[in-house]
Amino acid sequence: MTVNPKEAEFLKQIESNKGILFKICRIYQDNAEDRDDLLQEMTLQLWLAYDSFRSESKFSTWMYRVALNTAIAFFKKQRRRPDDQSLPYEFDRAEELSRVNEEEEKLAMFYKAVHQLDKIEKALIYLYMENQSYEEIATHLGITAVNARVRMSRLKDKLKEITKKMNYEYR
Amino acid sequence: MNIDELKDAWNKDDSGDLHLHLDTARMNKTTSILGRLRRNMKMEVVSLLISYVMVFAVLFWNVRSALFFNITVVLLFSSMVISAFYFFRFYVFYKSIGQYDLNIVNSIRKITYELELNTEIYKTYSFSAIPLSVLTALALIASKIKFDHLNNAILTNSSPLSFNMMLYAFGTILLSFIITYVCINIHVRLSYGKHLAGLKQVMNELGELS
Repeated sequence: MTVNPKEAEFLKQIESNKGILFKICRIYQDNAEDRDDLLQEMTLQLWLAYDSFRSESKFSTWMYRVALNTAIAFFKKQRRRPDDQSLPYEFDRAEELSRVNEEEEKLAMFYKAVHQLDKIEKALIYLYMENQSYEEIATHLGITAVNARVRMSRLKDKLKEITKKMNYEYR
Repeated sequence: MNIDELKDAWNKDDSGDLHLHLDTARMNKTTSILGRLRRNMKMEVVSLLISYVMVFAVLFWNVRSALFFNITVVLLFSSMVISAFYFFRFYVFYKSIGQYDLNIVNSIRKITYELELNTEIYKTYSFSAIPLSVLTALALIASKIKFDHLNNAILTNSSPLSFNMMLYAFGTILLSFIITYVCINIHVRLSYGKHLAGLKQVMNELGELS
């Protein structure tokens, strides 16, 4: 099957930036099937919106926007049968502990904590972890840089509280 | 947990053997609000076009009453003009969803506002088009039956309605409109209401942010 040049160029671009999609999926969905659905949805929305990409801006900048928009506003979790749902955290974590090192365990814990935040807070955390400056975060989200800084500071405290509770529960 | 200390692990957490396939994404049933909106809107257009084709197919078949044939044609064309006007507006909305030239806050605000506005426009369209469609269907059916005495009665022996008959007619029409209004609202709520509610929830979260 032949791929047209526009589609080939698009696939090349998202292939080199697929880490963005991968991490957004991990931040927004805790279930593997939901992550897969979201990944497909973001890929599709990126393709449908590809004409709106203007090459004067970086592809990754545009990609952040479309992918986050899809994850925040347009993606709805599928209702799954109970046996399809992810395992309770204790079991899930026990499995993770057996196969990951300390750093990865912390990251897994971080994702678990982030799943308890609302959609906008997740976007803030995501952009912060991607080493975006407060000015860049503000531009992506449409808020002021000061607001982004204040919110981020509160979010760090909130995450600490969540992880503290999680640790307590699992002891 | 200090998330700044996790940045190294975050950067190392790569996508591994993740493969992106556009064809799979295209083929799979979309789960997004946007995708469902698009699908619903496409279905509405396709249904409308099919119904017009069917009406035209029946229109010229076995015409028994020229008067009702002419009435059907006038009603049908009026209905087509109204549908064309509203569907052009929906098409503009259809094309505008998924445009990402704004930041996240503004694009979500825009889509929520546009969806709410278009939902109301859709209700208005249905409210005006449904009675017209019912009249068109009745006229179409009447055009297939030879009612000479009815044609004559309408053309020559018509008399003004009595007050009671007027009240009865008004009551019937009012009731029909109320039923239409309730049905439209249920349909809109089922088709678009939950998407709008989802977007409004995000808007509330955004309200706390800005």
